[in-house]
Amino acid sequence: MKLLEFEAKKIFKEHGIPVPESFVINSPEEIGDQASSLGSEVVLKAQVDVGGRGKAGGVIISDVASAKKNAELLFSKEIKGIPVEKILVEEKLPIEQEYYVSITIDRAKKEPVILFCATGGVDIEETAKNNPDALHRVRVAPILHDIPPFMMRRLLRGVPAEIGPVLNSLYRVYCDSDALLAEINPLVTTKKGVYAADAKLIIDDNALYRQGIRVNRDLTPRERKAEEYGFSYVELTGNIGVIGNGAGLTMSTLDLIELSGGKAANFLDVGGGANTERVCNAVRLVADMPLVKVIVVNLLGGITRCDEVAKGIVEAGVSQPVVVRLAGTNEEEGRRILKENGYHMLDTMEEVVMCAVKEAGK
Amino acid sequence: MIYGDKNTGVIVQGATGKQGRFHINLMNRYADEVGGKGVVAGVTPGKGGQEVDGVPVYDSLREALAEHDASASVLFVPGFAAGDSIMEAAYNGLETVVAITEHIPVHDAMCAISYARLEGCSVIGPNCPGILSPGEIKMGIMPAHLAFKANTGNVGIISRSGTLTYEVVNELTRAGIGQSTIVGIGGDPVIGQTFVDVLERFENDPETRGIVLIGEVGGNLEEEGASYTDLPIVTYIAGVSAPPEKRMGHAGAIVEGGEGDAGSKIRRLEAQGVTVASKPSLIPTLIREML
Repeated sequence: MKLLEFEAKKIFKEHGIPVPESFVINSPEEIGDQASSLGSEVVLKAQVDVGGRGKAGGVIISDVASAKKNAELLFSKEIKGIPVEKILVEEKLPIEQEYYVSITIDRAKKEPVILFCATGGVDIEETAKNNPDALHRVRVAPILHDIPPFMMRRLLRGVPAEIGPVLNSLYRVYCDSDALLAEINPLVTTKKGVYAADAKLIIDDNALYRQGIRVNRDLTPRERKAEEYGFSYVELTGNIGVIGNGAGLTMSTLDLIELSGGKAANFLDVGGGANTERVCNAVRLVADMPLVKVIVVNLLGGITRCDEVAKGIVEAGVSQPVVVRLAGTNEEEGRRILKENGYHMLDTMEEVVMCAVKEAGK
Repeated sequence: MIYGDKNTGVIVQGATGKQGRFHINLMNRYADEVGGKGVVAGVTPGKGGQEVDGVPVYDSLREALAEHDASASVLFVPGFAAGDSIMEAAYNGLETVVAITEHIPVHDAMCAISYARLEGCSVIGPNCPGILSPGEIKMGIMPAHLAFKANTGNVGIISRSGTLTYEVVNELTRAGIGQSTIVGIGGDPVIGQTFVDVLERFENDPETRGIVLIGEVGGNLEEEGASYTDLPIVTYIAGVSAPPEKRMGHAGAIVEGGEGDAGSKIRRLEAQGVTVASKPSLIPTLIREML
């Protein structure tokens, strides 16, 4: 789950990373007199979870006198399609130099990896492409609690040493928060010291329970419902609903649809050992999307019983046609149940996909 | 047989849960069929003294190993405790741990895998279906009936996805192509044995003469793996239609920061001279042509 900037900064601050003075408002009225305590100029930052927020007009630098008017303007905006519900009001830092630091996972080495760039700022992707040598990189074995000094020297070649402790604190944030990504862009130096001018933190969904986070906000209502049922569910833009068991098989079904000239509306992985009730819930959830014209069910498994799946499809009784491919335990019984209820069962993944693409094109 | 054979004794960690019970039974039925040792003991802290399907359960791995000869374990421990169980296996000298568990926090996986490496223990998974060497051993949850029955196959399979592996195994078996060993390495962002590790074993395995490598969106482990081996190899990459920044079922199956999308993976593999199948049903023909 992605945290918003002000939430990430709160965690950064708790770990000793200096952040600008700030407060959060939910409406322009709340800005009140507080802004003047931050200085003569403030930065208004829309708290929306999108990349390239600044370029999309989500950040306004304002003098204190017009802060309320600018907050009204920002609240009325949508940043890349997302309405602004909260604004972070921050002191404006007298920036001398900007840097970039991020900690992610090196999948091949199975370890956290720190990237540091002395020419930080907005266009880090461009820098990475055009000047890869500017990006310094070290891996930290997860059994280490701190970044060893030799790694620190390697990261910080030719930059102020006071950045070191901030990097180490960020590494602690990354570990303590079960983060998949911890990023400061830009990390800035001023006459008063080093500050995290922005903050990005993505928490591992599998660790939300021990981070005290109950609800994953990144999900749409249907995705949340799927999560309650224990399904993996993703919404797409086509018109064919897709249900499979196992992420790979379901994804492969999606690909075959595209290869056959169709387009999937969603992706639902029911997981292992699906019974009548689970399948019924899955079919109804997928059918609930207005875009869906036809539903493909592609299940294959050892534990999964085909008769249970067939009953679930019949019980769901959705208005869209459902085309089915089932293989495995009790296949014959499943076939009989579907046939009796007017459903059609096909033998292979390719047949079922071809059939659905044809139906969706009608 | 690259991770175990008939003579490998297996311990199941998390033996008394629903999944543990179910799969101890299936693994031992397979062991009976092929004349293997199978699951010799189970471990669940606090449940020592019980039996599951005739298999004695102990409170700790240490106690189990005092009574039974085993070099591998299969893990059905829930996500929050799985990292600890992997480390327990490594500490007690097991050579292989197959972690079936999904939803293990990635920081736990990184720590446990890193520790296991120090102890010389190979971790397969987490979030994987495990290993099947037809005619020899089943460690995990793969439906054995889909694979070639007798151990006469010479195609090795490595995959990040469970059911997609079964689909491919099913196609190969129907086409009369036998498998040497099928390894599901898991769909999480951090996994113990990667394509390279498994391929290294396949290279030294006299049974294996060709490889099917099944990958998906996210990371670049497939390219790294395919460039490693000299064996004939056919790959298939799922997720050509996956949109960026969406997790496609697996925690690791996500295109992030413009990296790891299936299209560029396939282009890089083809640039390396690797054969890429556009759909699973083409795999049997392609691998047969190479052998």
